[in-house]
Amino acid sequence: MNPMGETSVFWLRVTLALYSLGLGHALLTVIRRRQRLFTAALVAFCVAAVFHLVSIVEEGFAVGRFPVINLYQSSSLIGFLITLLFLLAYWRYKYDSLAVFIFPIVFIFTLVASLGHPVEPWSSPVLRSSWLFLHVVLALLGYAALFLTCVAAIMYLIQERELKSKKPRAFYHWLPPLGALDELGYRTMAAGFVLITLGLIAGSCWAFIEWGTRWVVDPKIILYFVTWGVYLILIFTRWTIGWRGRKAAYLAIFGFCCAALTWMVDSGVHSFLKR
Amino acid sequence: MNLLVVGLSHKTAPVDVREQMALPEAEMAGVLTALTSRPGIAEALIFSTCNRVEFTVRAEPETDAVAEVYSFLANDCRRPIEKLERHLYRYSQSEAIRHLFRVAASLDSMVVGEPQILGQVKDAYAIAKAAGALGGPLEEIVSRSLHVAKRVRSETGIGQMAVSVSYVAVELARKIFGTLAGHTVLILGSGKMSELAARHLRRSGAPAVFVANRTYEKAVELASRFEGRPVPFEQLFEFLPHVDIVISSTGAPGYIITRPRAEALMAARKNRPMFLIDIAVPRDIDPEVNKIDNLFVYDIDDLQQVADSNKREREREAERAEAIVDEEVASMMARLKAHEIAPTIVSLQSELDRIRRAEMERHRQRLGSLTPEQQRAVDELTRGIINKIAHTPISQLKSLANHPDGLHVIDVVKRVFNLKD
Repeated sequence: MNPMGETSVFWLRVTLALYSLGLGHALLTVIRRRQRLFTAALVAFCVAAVFHLVSIVEEGFAVGRFPVINLYQSSSLIGFLITLLFLLAYWRYKYDSLAVFIFPIVFIFTLVASLGHPVEPWSSPVLRSSWLFLHVVLALLGYAALFLTCVAAIMYLIQERELKSKKPRAFYHWLPPLGALDELGYRTMAAGFVLITLGLIAGSCWAFIEWGTRWVVDPKIILYFVTWGVYLILIFTRWTIGWRGRKAAYLAIFGFCCAALTWMVDSGVHSFLKR
Repeated sequence: MNLLVVGLSHKTAPVDVREQMALPEAEMAGVLTALTSRPGIAEALIFSTCNRVEFTVRAEPETDAVAEVYSFLANDCRRPIEKLERHLYRYSQSEAIRHLFRVAASLDSMVVGEPQILGQVKDAYAIAKAAGALGGPLEEIVSRSLHVAKRVRSETGIGQMAVSVSYVAVELARKIFGTLAGHTVLILGSGKMSELAARHLRRSGAPAVFVANRTYEKAVELASRFEGRPVPFEQLFEFLPHVDIVISSTGAPGYIITRPRAEALMAARKNRPMFLIDIAVPRDIDPEVNKIDNLFVYDIDDLQQVADSNKREREREAERAEAIVDEEVASMMARLKAHEIAPTIVSLQSELDRIRRAEMERHRQRLGSLTPEQQRAVDELTRGIINKIAHTPISQLKSLANHPDGLHVIDVVKRVFNLKD
């Protein structure tokens, strides 16, 4: 029942706490569009990598073999490998904008890994329901913001077509300028991304406490992870190679379709809640 | 009321005819004073712009306003009236009001919706007012025309779309970037059109203008004209990623910005949008460049096409503006009639009362001495009779005030009762 050694889990949680600084840095960067706490986050990341290694080694000793037996162990290992590669790449090329992409990914992998170890169920029903409520509110607010992103993206595509065609029709006069639509799209997407990230963390923790190790297989949760990944890619591509305009608009619409699908699957009640 | 507009405009007369009719601004006040001092002319207003010369007068009811204005033009202003006559248009009464409203609202302009005309109307109004040529119904009409112009501007899109090529460039830049603040401009080559467009962009908020030219001295000279900065031509491609709007008009025989160069440019810009205006013939920018994302290339024909389409859009808006003018003319006419009716009613009542008093005075002796009650009874009796008689004409006047025939009825009532006002 308990595949991980106690000390390994402890070190993994310390690692997660340090990685959360990286996540915080990434989210702030997305919102403020400036890298400010990068050095602090990078130092925390290096320290976290050491603890992460310790945790994996301890886990290996506890199970008596290379720890890739289950999903949690392998996701811990993937998280660690990504960290390692990132640090190498950074040391070699000093490519710091990559951090916006890597920090959240590593955090989520490590979060999943640390949730492989069942804990005591909820001590109070109030805490249980308010935690769930928090998750739902964050996710829905996030979807609302991403819906605006999608609307802005559609308007952007129409206006862009008008401008490229050089034959302005009524839309050209009615729709806001491209610059304004792009700005609106980015702002709502940044807000939406932060909200769904927090919603993801809240939801994962809740499902884990409620259902132990089975939570990861819920289709809605998997879709939620996919949606989150799409937006992470969107933000990363914009941040680094300046993917904006038409391609970004298509991706934003796709991302919202994923979000809408996630929302619609099982009409709001996760499969394990019904059991 | 006797209102008349006589004039000619770009629609009826070529420029050499308009020149013969035009009045220099310095002479305007004198001409206005001379015109209003003629018998029968109560108020006057003169427009004299490069596109129209117009005399608007309010004459006394019996005056032949057309003859009066024509003789004024021929004798006082020494204009060759026989030669001009076939170019002149004439509007009277409600048509004159409609014309004034349409002119102020820029519906009669060469470029429909252009904003300068409103300033010209204001100037003409101020000059006429200062010369003492206004002060009655005509003044009310002119000041109303300013209101109509504002209403048309705010309720329709008539003045919103750019219709000249250089303004179209500004409008497009706004449609791409949202605001021009923070977006820099580079002029490549030189030319009147690119200079004009750069000037408009600068005035609309673009913070800086750079100039590149094969001859560096030319770049320096052009840059000095709008506090711009010259850029050495050899450094053009290092510099291009840092500007957002390029206006190109060099005399180069081939493309300066080719597709591979533009792709490299966008990569260097991290895909931030860019607006390239190519007004050179032969073109400086490969039209293929327009296919690159976030890059918008407009050549001179494209700009013209947008301008034409905006013109058509303005014409559609102009139809809505005409409806507003119709509404305003109707309400102006109603108001003017109400003005004319009020004095007629008052003078009708006082005329009848005067007759009553005179008759009472005449027959006072024959009635002998009356008690106060008898005196009151006689007063009430006679007053009752005149009120009964006046009732129908007064209610007819009031109900016809909003009817097109209203003015005619006023005349009839005046004549029947032999009234002055």
